[in-house]
Amino acid sequence: MERRKYVWLRQFIAFAIIIGLWEAAGRAKLLNPLYAPSPSRIVGALIDLFAGGTIWPHLEATFGAALGGLALGIVVGTVLGIAAALAPFLAELLEPVMIMLNAVPRVVLAPLFVIWLGIGIASKVALSFVLVAVLIFFTVFTGILQVDRRLIERITTLGGGRTALLRHVYLPSIVAWIMGNLKVAVGFAFTGAVVGEFVAASRGLGYLLSFAQSTYNSALMLALVLLIMVFVLVIFALAGRLERHLLRWR
Amino acid sequence: MLRVADLSLSYGQVPVLEGASLDIDDGQFVSLVGPSGSGKSSLLRAVMGLQKPLAGSVTTELAKRDIGILFQDDALLPWRTARENVALGLGFHGSNRRRAADHADSWLTQLGLSGLGDRYPRQLSGGQRKRVALAQVLALKPRLLLMDEPFASLDAIVRARVTQDLVDLAERERIGVLLVTHDLEEAISLSDVVYLLSQGPRARMSQRYDIPLSRPRKLIATRSDPRFAPLLERLWDDLSREVDRGAAEAA
Ligand SMILES: Nc1ncnc2c1ncn2[C@@H]1O[C@H](COP(=O)(O)OP(=O)(O)O)[C@@H](O)[C@H]1O
Ligand SMILES: [Mg+2]
Repeated sequence: MERRKYVWLRQFIAFAIIIGLWEAAGRAKLLNPLYAPSPSRIVGALIDLFAGGTIWPHLEATFGAALGGLALGIVVGTVLGIAAALAPFLAELLEPVMIMLNAVPRVVLAPLFVIWLGIGIASKVALSFVLVAVLIFFTVFTGILQVDRRLIERITTLGGGRTALLRHVYLPSIVAWIMGNLKVAVGFAFTGAVVGEFVAASRGLGYLLSFAQSTYNSALMLALVLLIMVFVLVIFALAGRLERHLLRWR
Repeated sequence: MLRVADLSLSYGQVPVLEGASLDIDDGQFVSLVGPSGSGKSSLLRAVMGLQKPLAGSVTTELAKRDIGILFQDDALLPWRTARENVALGLGFHGSNRRRAADHADSWLTQLGLSGLGDRYPRQLSGGQRKRVALAQVLALKPRLLLMDEPFASLDAIVRARVTQDLVDLAERERIGVLLVTHDLEEAISLSDVVYLLSQGPRARMSQRYDIPLSRPRKLIATRSDPRFAPLLERLWDDLSREVDRGAAEAA
């Protein structure tokens, strides 16, 4: 009991010690600031980003692309997954396409989307979308095929028809599977947006990253990584709350 | 109210069941026993229309909604509360939400589950879940209940109590029952008529036993009825002979 109780405290202390050593090593000129800027310089870069207000349009671009791709990907992935599970001829067409899409590391599509859709937000949404849609498609498709037969028989023997099956068995199961994969999907959505911006863009956290890289500004780069991490963790927490609410029957 | 006549069923070349017949009158409690694999579940599935017979017929004057069905591994919808689960069938048959919920609550109360309507299935014990499943079926006011070893997964005490409640309800509402069970004592103590299927494949209806015990029944008391032991012995001997015959044929 005691051991578990103070886990966070021990983690915090260990973290503080590492940061402290890092900072001390930086000040003692043991680290090359070009490669490993000290924590205070990373924090400084973060403060600069927010103080000047320069960060907001970039955050907006990245969030817009990631959340747009996430929403579209969930909707389209779900619809295609349901369609494929209910209509075998659609499954014959869709499954190989999805398997192929799944086989390429989908971020390599980024340059292609830039050619097709330009360097604006559309190409970033598209990359997020493809990452999320393929994941959700397989989640929903295999999920529906594995729906508990007993639940289906129960509904039919109680007199329920197709709409009853959809409403009482399929939709709740689909929500459960999607919720189970929501965190992965959020991660994918941000990966898509940031990588897309990194390849070619005029705004966004990925664009800032590529800018930082081209100017060898590793403090800015690490500050951005930190920022993305914090935002994704916040969204994870929100997704966790949503999951606990929607799956409260578990 | 239900007649199965000369029913033959097959999944492959060799019929599972051949020329099986049975009758259920209004409000009659009928059990079907037999060695495992003799086709009890298959017969029940044929009665429900889930299995097409090779020959013979199932006739009933009952509408589909007058027939309630309960299996051993019935699952409740895990994402619906006990009340919502019970109200499910009522909704399918046109009750509005409010009425269905009230009705569901009164059935939960009748089955000793008052106050548990807001719980999800995972928050209920095995026995409670089985009662919810029973309430779900009984709420539709069936005139005939078809059950395939519905209580097999329950421990002995819970099972005895749920079974007694079922008998009380069936007697009071005059619900006919066709129960598949492998428990001979249960079959005798619950039923008006017990049918014995012979060893499969090509299982036949080998015996029909009238159970002359009076109603209303108290299950524990029936076992000390002087007519109980001889009936059990007869059924047991007949069933053993079937199983031995099956083993001899297999050898
Ligand atoms: N869906 C099925 N497909 C093929 N054979 C089956 C199927 N269901 C049952 N059987 C076979 O039919 C026979 C009777 O099964 P069942 O009706 O379940 O018997 P019981 O309920 O009396 O144990 C068994 O030999 C079983 O293997
Ligand atoms: Mg069986």
